[in-house]
Amino acid sequence: MLREFTQLTVNGLLQGGIYSLISIGLTLIFGVTRIVNFAHGEFLMLAMYATYFLFHLAGMDPYLSLLIVTPLLFVLGLIAERLVIHPILNAPSFMQIFSTVGLSVALQNAALFFFSADYRSIRTSYSTRTLLASGLLISFPRLVAFIASILISLGLFLLLKKTYIGRAIRAVAQNRTASTLMGIDIRRIYLFTFGLGTALVGMAGGLLMPVYYVFPTVGGLFVLTAFVVVVLGGMGNITGAFIGGLIIGVVESYSGFYLATQLKEAVYFAIFILVLLLKPSGLFGIVGSEEMGEK
Amino acid sequence: MSRPLFQWLRHPKGYLSLLGLVALILFPLVVQNPFVLHLLIMILFYAALGGAWNIIGGFAGQLSLGHAAFFGVGAYSCILLNLYTGLNPWVGMVVGMLITSAFAAAISYPCFRLRGPFFTLATIAFAEVLRILVIYFKGFTKGSVGITIPQKMGLANFAFREKAPYLYIVLTFAAGVFLISYFIQKSRFGYDLAALREDEDAAESLGVNTTRSKLKAAVLSAALTSIGGVFYAQYILFIEPYSEFSLDFSIQFALVPMIGGMGTAAGPIIGSFVLTPLQELLRSWLGGSYAGLHLVIYGCILMLVVIFMPQGILGLIKGRFAYGEKRPSSGSIPQEDRAVEG
Repeated sequence: MLREFTQLTVNGLLQGGIYSLISIGLTLIFGVTRIVNFAHGEFLMLAMYATYFLFHLAGMDPYLSLLIVTPLLFVLGLIAERLVIHPILNAPSFMQIFSTVGLSVALQNAALFFFSADYRSIRTSYSTRTLLASGLLISFPRLVAFIASILISLGLFLLLKKTYIGRAIRAVAQNRTASTLMGIDIRRIYLFTFGLGTALVGMAGGLLMPVYYVFPTVGGLFVLTAFVVVVLGGMGNITGAFIGGLIIGVVESYSGFYLATQLKEAVYFAIFILVLLLKPSGLFGIVGSEEMGEK
Repeated sequence: MSRPLFQWLRHPKGYLSLLGLVALILFPLVVQNPFVLHLLIMILFYAALGGAWNIIGGFAGQLSLGHAAFFGVGAYSCILLNLYTGLNPWVGMVVGMLITSAFAAAISYPCFRLRGPFFTLATIAFAEVLRILVIYFKGFTKGSVGITIPQKMGLANFAFREKAPYLYIVLTFAAGVFLISYFIQKSRFGYDLAALREDEDAAESLGVNTTRSKLKAAVLSAALTSIGGVFYAQYILFIEPYSEFSLDFSIQFALVPMIGGMGTAAGPIIGSFVLTPLQELLRSWLGGSYAGLHLVIYGCILMLVVIFMPQGILGLIKGRFAYGEKRPSSGSIPQEDRAVEG
């Protein structure tokens, strides 16, 4: 019983690490630009395809290809910000949602057009390798993804705390007007933040590829989970997103086992609705921050 | 009542609408091409559902992306009642409306505390939960396999071999939604909604019971959406949870009034006449040979609309031609009528 429970917790935490990584990019973009980016999952999908093709065409190891995929996604993020996000920065939030939904639909179906609806996966020597630690089974690629997501979160945290651009990003997230007055070029901050958020989801895609399939709608699967995580942790709160991701991963693991696999999504959506209704600022958010998105 | 009607008919808006209505009624007598009739049915279907969404989304400014929930609850209530008790689909439709209304009231009340993207995300979550539950309880709902509706044809069974009867039903439905929207626009209720849309706190302080107004709008919108769900189910004679509760439907219901002009009675009709043919034609031209391409174009249209014409087609026309219009969002009410209302 206890071992079963521990195993479920470990599985959940490992899965949650991936959710955290995806959600951190989403919450960063929301915190700074106040835009709910529905196309976030499609960037994950593009990163997974990039990893897949680098593996199959160039024989590159998925972890090594992170060095290519991450900058690639950063650039894609910059382009998307310039073309789609920048023109709607001052539009009502609902219009912004529509614009990013449009981007999501376009990217998803472009993938369908170019890569077909086939499920693709890559087979590495370590895809199915598991470690045995005091009676617990731990999947090696998932452990790598988990550790990487902790390191990446730490790196992002340091970037935001210690560097000039990080301080500028936090300043813009707190108060647009005041930061403009302090001489921060907020348009460049938006651009950089969007690129950064997209690069983070790009890394998640690369880390996910050894254990997961890629197909055109794979992003939709993860993006709704990421929204749950982001709301749970408090919109714009990076530490919150990290812990929220782990919580959702564990909840998913428990409910999949003790209730039913098909119901695990319903459980975390129920949590999502409850959090929205009872504490819309999220578990770690500042009270009142839920109205940040309001225009 | 007859004088304003007569005056309305002398206005180009009046006689052009009447002309359009007559043309639509006569249309199936002249054209028998099933594709064209199907296209027209889908245009009116989305005009009606866009109009239903518009009551809560446009007039009251509560931007839901979960209307597929009401659509699906309406359809499933009617079809399951028919399956298990043999209840007539027309009666089932009314029962479905009542169930959907109760459901809408129950979920809207807490959601209205949320603003901006949070409200929208919560509505999406409700639709997702419903879809998952319908798939899970497959003993009762038949799950993801779906339900094929027994093909007993005839008016009493709400099932027809030809397209024309469906066209007349959906035309009545769309006209009904338009009339309801039109009367809301002119009524005190409509002004309450417009006031709370523009500034909820100000409306509240002026004596508008904002919660009750929003609740009324949500229930009305949901009830009309559930009729659409039943119509769609009876039209394709099949329901399954993935499409009934899909985010795609929710987006489409909101997109139609957005293209035409949100918060106006005519907006959803204009929006649907522009958007639906475009989609159906793109789908039939490109859908077969180039999977996904028509949706790439659709996605691009979505982005372009938001970036270049956020006020919709009506807003664009108004901005171009009507100078000195004081409230561009108040739609097609002639200025005089408004003075009478006051």
